[in-house]
Amino acid sequence: MLWLSVVIDNACTQIWDAWGSGAPVTSLRVSPAVYDAVAAARPGEVARHCPLTLLGLPLVPDPDVATYEPLAV
Amino acid sequence: MLTKEENEALCRVGPGTPMGSVLRRYWTPAFQAADLPAPDCPPVAVTLLGESFVAFRDSAGRLGFLDELCSHRGASLVLGRVEDCGIRCLYHGWKYAADGTILETPNLASSSFRDRFRHGAYPVREAGGLGWVYLGPPGTEPPFPAFSWTAADADELLVSEMIMDCNWMQVQEGSIDSSHVAVLHLDTLATMGAGPRSVGSFEFAGEPWDLEMPVPRRGNGGGPGGGSSDRGGGGWPSDDNAPRIEVENTPFGFHYAAIRDVTGDPGQKFVRVTAFAMPYTAFIGGAGTGAVLVVPRDDYTCSSIGVFRVPKGAGGIAASRRAGGVDPAVWGPEPGSRRIRLPRQDREAMASGQSFAGFRGGNRVQDAAVQLSEGRMYDRATEHLVPADLAIIRMRRLFADSVRLVAAGGAPLGLGAGYDFAGVAAASAVIAADQRWQDLVPANEGTGKPARRA
Repeated sequence: MLWLSVVIDNACTQIWDAWGSGAPVTSLRVSPAVYDAVAAARPGEVARHCPLTLLGLPLVPDPDVATYEPLAV
Repeated sequence: MLTKEENEALCRVGPGTPMGSVLRRYWTPAFQAADLPAPDCPPVAVTLLGESFVAFRDSAGRLGFLDELCSHRGASLVLGRVEDCGIRCLYHGWKYAADGTILETPNLASSSFRDRFRHGAYPVREAGGLGWVYLGPPGTEPPFPAFSWTAADADELLVSEMIMDCNWMQVQEGSIDSSHVAVLHLDTLATMGAGPRSVGSFEFAGEPWDLEMPVPRRGNGGGPGGGSSDRGGGGWPSDDNAPRIEVENTPFGFHYAAIRDVTGDPGQKFVRVTAFAMPYTAFIGGAGTGAVLVVPRDDYTCSSIGVFRVPKGAGGIAASRRAGGVDPAVWGPEPGSRRIRLPRQDREAMASGQSFAGFRGGNRVQDAAVQLSEGRMYDRATEHLVPADLAIIRMRRLFADSVRLVAAGGAPLGLGAGYDFAGVAAASAVIAADQRWQDLVPANEGTGKPARRA
């Protein structure tokens, strides 16, 4: 099973750390597996052509990103 | 958000489910000790983690916690007679001791069956006005989480239980969520004469209309209304509805601070520290050493139990019954009026500037309204978390990590081996902007380390 709980916790921690150091965060790079899981869980948003987001950030699939190590950039 | 599969894994609690297997590895609050007030008093039915049990107090005062149905033909032992150091089934008279020993089988003279077989019985202990049970594999009981209030005498405790017809996770997530306080509970803050008086275009026009609502007590360790209280006489000194969130894992789970700007004083910050002791117990900023415990009865019913320490003599059964209900009109017909039924939302008061939320009855009713509105089991696939939800996110993470640990044959997180649970505390205070919030709760022993990596 893919545990989005772990992905989101790691991403959220990065976002707060970045904000704490005054760095802007504009997107979240995730593994294709995570991106696909989010898309599959939100068919309504995909149908409405809404950009997929997590934690308020647009998701960017990145094959170089490990499943449980998203990158807030 | 969670995938549907993950949501199911974290929400369902029955035997053999991922989360059910995790929850059975902790001491679980099962019933109010006051429901079994004397030796040989009537037993009580207890639904817990999707299973049915009977709890009773035998002639010697010992608690028993047994599978509900008689081992003979399945009649409910809740109908049984508690007598002579055991509970006897009404159907054919089989009698059980508190430890599950079969004492008598009137329709089976031979003792060989009685000697070989034992009815399902579970470790049970009384502490903090509650009966706690351990439903995990025999021999795996962790140390009992002896929170500060678990050693208090009955007359020093107020215990109130609210039964809600929804999945426990949405109630637990609400109990640790600080960022909704100055929105959903605006009426409560206004009644206390504290905090902001507006959200969006809403602003109170004069006094709030529910002046009879139970509000948290000021500076004395909180009360059954829940929410903040320890404000050092300073009220809710912030208009900041976007608190900064900082989380640290601890031996018992995690604690976190919601940090708000202090209105008109940039040299200070308003900090509410909430501690979450896995998997049931939240110590909420401002509630002193009191706590809220959310316990799954089954997948679609849970109990939210408030335990508050009060001056000696001010607690006990009668006081709990007076204080436990907030408004007789919003509590159900069960003994103790524990099942909440929501009052009508007062749209007129909302429109006239007398009430933001429109629900009489205080924080717990306001919380129940939104938590029940999420449905019997909220599907988190379509939610949109924001960084301010970090505490909820961390709780799910610790549960997910625990599911994986238990599935691999290990122990779940937060058992706190060697940790003194009496030190777990919350806090609410205005402190200097450069002061560490951890200094308010030194015994929580935050490790500062992230949760176990996947």
